This record gives sequence, structure tokens and C-alpha cells, in this order.
Amino acid sequence: MTTQNNPYVYAEAIQAQLASIVEVPVYANFNRNYATESQFLTWQLRNVHQPVYTGQTQSNKGIDTPTFQISIFSQSMSDAFNLSNDILQSLHGYSGQFGDQFFVAKADVFWLYNTYDNELGLNQIILDCTLYIPA
Amino acid sequence: MALIDKVLPGYVATLWMQEDVTPTPLTDSELAIWTAQVADIVGTTAGGAGTAGMQVPVEAIPAFGSDDASATYGIAGARTGAKITTQNQPTSMTITSAWNPADPAMLQIREDGYSGSIIRTYVVAVYDGTDTVAYAFNARVGGLQWDMAPSAEGKFHFTLHPVGGNAYGWSNNT
Repeated sequence: MTTQNNPYVYAEAIQAQLASIVEVPVYANFNRNYATESQFLTWQLRNVHQPVYTGQTQSNKGIDTPTFQISIFSQSMSDAFNLSNDILQSLHGYSGQFGDQFFVAKADVFWLYNTYDNELGLNQIILDCTLYIPA
Repeated sequence: MALIDKVLPGYVATLWMQEDVTPTPLTDSELAIWTAQVADIVGTTAGGAGTAGMQVPVEAIPAFGSDDASATYGIAGARTGAKITTQNQPTSMTITSAWNPADPAMLQIREDGYSGSIIRTYVVAVYDGTDTVAYAFNARVGGLQWDMAPSAEGKFHFTLHPVGGNAYGWSNNT
């Protein structure tokens, strides 16, 4: 029997946790105005979902395993990789309080790919992080 | 109320059980009586009265009914043999629940499994929002397992073993 967590709390926690790991600006979404900065990262939350099980009882659900994408932007490719590595080393396998909001049993990071935006002149590295949250 | 006359999604099914620590299971004939018998075990959210039962939170209701069986024989020299269908016992139901260590139904099933001798009436209730069809049976609990594999919530598996050939009954609200 579980309750559905408020995704707003996830958003607050992700912002706080990422800001505690890196010393560059952290934003919830991309804005072209940020492109003037040499380094920054953005995140986007998706796949907030608890499996629902049989019957009329709404709380007959499993745990939530939300995923958020982290996009690291940097004018320097080496900075982008090192910044991404900081996040990878800090988050992958992490268990404990997340963003001072709730307990995560485990954080699971996937390094997806790196790319380059020629128009903006920014290297990008995309990571996915899935949280396993007792509920 | 009429018997449900529509095709139903699997989500309509729920599992209920008598809530007493040492229950008196329904008799074979009572398993097919809705009013004051099966209805008391099924909760109000599934169209019952719920005065003597509690819900078991399960992921899905597994296939239920009866096992297949037949006596097969042949006669020497004859070209064909034959099968005679026999009445077999109700099917054992292996059930998976998302494990909540404090859930009262899971705790009771854990106790029943430890005992090994408690016979309890269980009911699979199918509810369309108005009417209920119920499959009630008497069973013991076996096969308790807790599966804490990563990547999902921990699971509690258990098997309900019906006690005899006639220890089940169908009923519906009236």
C-alpha cells in the first residue's frame, strides 16, 4: 500500500541535489540565454510512475521510479566530461537523503551520449538518473 | 441485482480473506451463499458487507478454478482408449504482493504460513462498480517467499492451497 509522491517534491530535490554536487549553475530547463555562460547544466523530470495493481483500492501500487535527464553544457569538451564525471561519481549507486527531501534506496545513472551544438558553440553530455524511492 | 453481464478488465478482481486470527471457515455449502456468508468477507469497495474480512493487496489475481484431471484407460486389442474426466481439486493460487511489512493481511498470511494448519476462507471478488461475482474457497497457506530483487519493489510471494475437492463455491450479490 503506497501513496503517490508529489512530483513537485522530486523537482525540488533534484534541483537541490544537483546544485550540491556541482559549482556551476543548475536550471530546470534550457533557455537560449544560458548559452552565454561557459558551463551550466539543466535537468528534466520524466517517467514519474508507480505501477498500479488490481482492485478498487487506489493505494495498491508499487514504488515510484522517476527518471530525470541531466544535460551538461560547456564550451570546453574536457570541462563537459569532467563535470559529467563529477555527477556520475556522486550520484551513481547513491543511497541516502536526496536533496534533503526524501530517502532514496538507490540512484542509478546512465551516461547516454555526448554531442555538440555548433550554433550555440556548446558541448553537451546527456545523463539519465533513475531514483528508487520507498513509498 | 443481476449477475454481471459484461466483459471485464482484469483489474476488477480483488482478494479477500477472513480476518479472525483463528477463523471458522465457511462450510462447503456456505461457500456458495452470498448473503451473510461470502458477502461478510468481501469489503464494501467490492460490493460486499465486509464485516468479517479484510483485503489482501495483490498485484494480480492468478488463474483460479480447478485442476484438470482424467482417468485414461485402454483395452488390449481395442483400437482406441478413452478418458473419463474426474473432479479434481481447486487450483492452488500462487500470489505476488508488493511487500509492505506492516500490512495486516500479509502479517496474517505470514502467521498462517508459520502455523501450517490454519484453514481460512478466501474470496476472489469481481466487481463492476455495481454488482459482485465471488469465487470463495477454503485454503491453507504455503510457499512463503520474500523476493528483494533490485529494480522494483520487494515482493511477497505465497501460495494458497485449497483443502478439498468441493471446498469452493460461486455466488453473486442478490
